[in-house]
Amino acid sequence: MAEIAQDGGGGHKKGGKVRSKKMSTRIDFTPMVDLGFLLITFFMLTTTLAKPNIMALVMPEKDIKKEDVEPVKESKVLTLLLGGNDKVYYYEGITDAKLDSTDFSAEGLRTVILNKMDKVKGQFGTETYKKKNKEGVEEERTDGSYINVLIKPTKESRYKNLVDALDEMAICKVRYYVILDVSELEEKFIKDPASGLKFNVDEQVEAATK
Amino acid sequence: MPKNKPKRSAPSIDMTAMCDVAFLLLTFFMLTAKAKPQETVVIDTPSSISETKLPDAGTLTIMVGKDGKVFMDMAGQHTRLSLIDDINSRYQLGLNDQQKMKFANLGSFGVPRAELKKYLDLPPSERASYPVSGIPIDTADINKSELADWIHNARLAQFRMKQEGKVKDEYVMIVKADQTTPYPAVQKVINTLTDINVNKFNLITSMEGGPKKE
Repeated sequence: MAEIAQDGGGGHKKGGKVRSKKMSTRIDFTPMVDLGFLLITFFMLTTTLAKPNIMALVMPEKDIKKEDVEPVKESKVLTLLLGGNDKVYYYEGITDAKLDSTDFSAEGLRTVILNKMDKVKGQFGTETYKKKNKEGVEEERTDGSYINVLIKPTKESRYKNLVDALDEMAICKVRYYVILDVSELEEKFIKDPASGLKFNVDEQVEAATK
Repeated sequence: MPKNKPKRSAPSIDMTAMCDVAFLLLTFFMLTAKAKPQETVVIDTPSSISETKLPDAGTLTIMVGKDGKVFMDMAGQHTRLSLIDDINSRYQLGLNDQQKMKFANLGSFGVPRAELKKYLDLPPSERASYPVSGIPIDTADINKSELADWIHNARLAQFRMKQEGKVKDEYVMIVKADQTTPYPAVQKVINTLTDINVNKFNLITSMEGGPKKE
């Protein structure tokens, strides 16, 4: 331990003059350091130094006008139905749609999306598009054909499933994806995949733009 | 022959340098510190690969707990004071200046409007044990939804403050939900937001390593 030096005090010297006491200038810093570290610990534990991460999400507008509805090619559409117990049901297009299921692992959903992308690329060839790079300069890219992914979380799904699905969109660089509500038709489809999906495009457009 | 014993004294260490370091760190932590707001609800956010950080601008956070209860928190004392003034006079809550001040300094809250007065009167230690029911959402009629009303008015209050030059930016909207929150609860919040034309918002996630790049 550090100690307070006390040997500075001078006594009477033989026959000398009386001198004022010379005090040592050394101070014991130990309590001060103790206090300092105590406060550091306190502030370290109470601060939220790390900022949380965020994931930006843009939802489509509520009021869509009928004339703004632009049809997309059915073969480019992949619908993901997020079910309970971390399961994902998916089907491609709407005509003769076949329901399949997978999970959120790298071999599961990611493979499904990448396969679909390859398929679309094979069918339509690569497409170029303009995108701003990090410096804000627009540049042309030819990352391949785009697909449209519809994410529809069911009532049984948890919030984590949605975030996981959005993550896959970022990982696979899917440019067009949207979160939609599950329709009754699709709920029936999950329960009874054999009977197929009886989807009427006009009815759906009507429902979305009412 | 007497042994030549070295003179023993307690080892003295010079603490000055250590003290310097300690106080340097202390100063650093004090200046960067932002008091952890009192949590009314524990939320374990799902992990994602997103690396975008929360912006410094004022945030309006809507929290959805595990049980689907909805809480709200917004930054800025001025805005909160202006907001509660507005809400108080509109819905005749009968809050006095002291209670309004309490609201301005409050962290997140999740009580129906009618219970707000009672909730504010509680000492902070008892608020944690108050049986909060969350902010009510009416999905059928947006004009009756308290959550929509709070968000709308909070954004208006922030806008007023911006015009007065008290804050720089408008609110950044944030949705924070627990991993295990059932989707319908989140859906209600998202629908409320899109109903009042808030189509851009952010989901809070925690860090996760991205896939390995080939």
